Amino acid sequence: MLFGLLLVLLAVGAPALLSATSVAAVLVQASPIAIVAFGLSVVVIGGGDDVVIGGIDLSIPAGAALSTAIISDQLTNRGASFPEAFGLGLLAALAVGAVNAVLVTVVGLTPILTTLATYASVVGIVRVLTTNRRINVEDPTVLWIRDTNIFGVPVPVLIMLVTFAIFGWVVHRTRYGMKLRTVGGNLDAAVSVGLKPRIFVASTFVWASLAAGIAGVLLVARGSGMSPGIDERLLVDMVLATFVGAAFSSKNIVTVSGAMLGAILVSFMATGLILNRVDNSWVDGWKGVLILLVVTAAALQTRRSRQ
Amino acid sequence: MTDVLLQMSGITKAFPGVLALDDASLTIRAGEIHGLVGENGAGKSTIIKSLAGVYQHDHGAIHFAGDEIPQITAAVADELGIRFVHQELHLVPHFTVAESVFMGQELSDVSGLNNRKMREQAALTLSESLGAEINPRALIRDLTPAERKLVQIARALVREGTRLIVFDEPTAPLASAEVERVLQAIRRLKKKGIAVLYVSHYLGEINQLCDAVTVFRNGSDVGLIENDVAQSGRELIRLMVGRDLDQLFPTRDSVLEEVFLDVKQLSDGDKFQDVSFSIHAGEIVGLAGVLGSGCEEIVDAIVGLRRAKSGSLTVRGQKARIASPAAALRKGIVLIPRDRRNDGLFLELSVRENINIATLESVATAGLVSREASEKRARLMVEQLDIRPAETERQGRYLSGGNQQKVVLARSLAADAKILVLDEPTVGVDIGAKTEIYRQVSDLAVEGRAVLISSNDPAEILGLCDRVYVVIRGTVVSEHRSEDLTRDSLIEKMTQSTEKAGSLV
Repeated sequence: MLFGLLLVLLAVGAPALLSATSVAAVLVQASPIAIVAFGLSVVVIGGGDDVVIGGIDLSIPAGAALSTAIISDQLTNRGASFPEAFGLGLLAALAVGAVNAVLVTVVGLTPILTTLATYASVVGIVRVLTTNRRINVEDPTVLWIRDTNIFGVPVPVLIMLVTFAIFGWVVHRTRYGMKLRTVGGNLDAAVSVGLKPRIFVASTFVWASLAAGIAGVLLVARGSGMSPGIDERLLVDMVLATFVGAAFSSKNIVTVSGAMLGAILVSFMATGLILNRVDNSWVDGWKGVLILLVVTAAALQTRRSRQ
Repeated sequence: MTDVLLQMSGITKAFPGVLALDDASLTIRAGEIHGLVGENGAGKSTIIKSLAGVYQHDHGAIHFAGDEIPQITAAVADELGIRFVHQELHLVPHFTVAESVFMGQELSDVSGLNNRKMREQAALTLSESLGAEINPRALIRDLTPAERKLVQIARALVREGTRLIVFDEPTAPLASAEVERVLQAIRRLKKKGIAVLYVSHYLGEINQLCDAVTVFRNGSDVGLIENDVAQSGRELIRLMVGRDLDQLFPTRDSVLEEVFLDVKQLSDGDKFQDVSFSIHAGEIVGLAGVLGSGCEEIVDAIVGLRRAKSGSLTVRGQKARIASPAAALRKGIVLIPRDRRNDGLFLELSVRENINIATLESVATAGLVSREASEKRARLMVEQLDIRPAETERQGRYLSGGNQQKVVLARSLAADAKILVLDEPTVGVDIGAKTEIYRQVSDLAVEGRAVLISSNDPAEILGLCDRVYVVIRGTVVSEHRSEDLTRDSLIEKMTQSTEKAGSLV
């Protein structure tokens, strides 16, 4: 597969890519991307993949940034304990999810426009909240998350795996999940079997905001606090991870496990490029090109196998 | 006399502007296969929706197994054991067969979805109740249309307590060979004691399958045939249309003049090879083949939708390369496509816009379309083809199937095409509109056009065409004059079998 070939190329250029430390770093970097991608996957799975009216949530990175900002602010400036800070951050993210849910299912706005608007609004709120300045965090729990390995696996990666287990199980192994997939798979079919799509679609935004809240914790740990602009990079990576991930599924649809693989791929690409001493400014460009190639190859492969 | 299972009496339902049901009644006995026929707009779909709880009837009563049902809703119907197999498949392409059968009614236990049990039960229902061996892990998008239909039916059956299944046009998208599978499946249901309400335009199937038939016209039931349903074809038509249709197919003296289209050894290297046939002016020629035989692809190649790798096309004496439908149009060849909703009609545009869209230059000056000219032409066509409702500004989507097909036909008339290619022209069209379309096509030929019809409906081919080419797996295997063939002999040739297949009319 093309993915394998690219990795080989990158590894040949920089053998250090395959070292244990590199792999660990790649996975740690992939973790927040994967978690927000889980959130986006649920929204896409439940909302259908029509480009214009289908399910999508662009506000997840903003929600994550909000969660990060609040956690950082609470820990450093307000002397809160970690559970308190996390609770508040999570609540804030969930509030964004609730707003999305209402706007899409009650007011009836299209998800792409709605979440774009909430994205912008929340980013603005975050800027105000942090006065666009960095907040340093030295809370012991946060540092523990950042630095600890359990059985050789970094904690952020463990958090990613646990989140994956939860989201994956809910979407693919529960009755609710199957109904959700029905709603997103064929709206008319869902209605004809008696499902009420609105409730399911609304719930997807709540799941997405839950992912945003959890990602916030990882972002705080990774950055040792809150830095302005963390949402921007995350948006592109999240969308890439989710949809590149679809190319990995046998049915060529967005899945939770696909999102995780996609996030790892995106992270590998970036790290591989940097280790190959590609200039930072070019990394994004190359990332895009490489991913375009992978996805095209996968599409061609699927088309050939269908004929 | 078996017991009455479903009794709908005196149902009336009005919508703003139209009385859809007017004192309509329907009676189904336990364990019988009951047919429901009628033209589009006769009220069949409304009465079924009333039974399904989609609509609440204004007047009338519904009794099921002797009990009156005051308020019928989807949940109530479900509880009573009434299941519906709608015309639209409503399936998710990337779901497996098992997931589709259990859509909305998933099996689960403490640890989550019980996929294994769902696969087992799906396979069991399909093979035992429907006689179909379909892999429960297969994806819907990889199944044939008939298999998908069977999956949809299995969904209705897999729950306990099914007493009545309502089928709405179940065989419309299927080819003759596949139709038989579905009909067999329905006969098995009867053996299990499940009653069936079978709504269909295919009177041949109704004749074959049903124990009794109710005919609807203008919102009410106008006749019930209980005896000798198999021979009741003409009676059914008479009741449906309200008059005697002496001939479904018009008679015509075909005038054979110059050869308008000469196809020699056409191949696309894939779906058809070495295809040769010719059509004279004033002649209607048929390509008869079952679904997948290559007829569709041959037709596509002639109108420029498909690349031919070798062979030649001569249009009115001149060799032609047809690289696109626009090129075909310039040569005077027009296609009336099979899937009018997706390929033929512009649903959002008005009737007038649809009719004129291929020939805007002729109603425009300096690039601006003359509203007057386009309206005039549209009105002419609406009158000529008896398009109903006779409103040129009505959006395409609001017309019935038959009238939509007439609009597509009108477009090609407006384009003044000399060679008409019709691909399955009357799929899903009710009998009244069918007759009109056949009359139109016949008139078009009489006026000197050459017509090519690709169809898997043997009666249609024989009724309309002067000559028939039988196509099997991409090859023209024989050529006949229609008068030398019967429906059964044509079917035999199309399917290379001695079985009798189902559809008529």
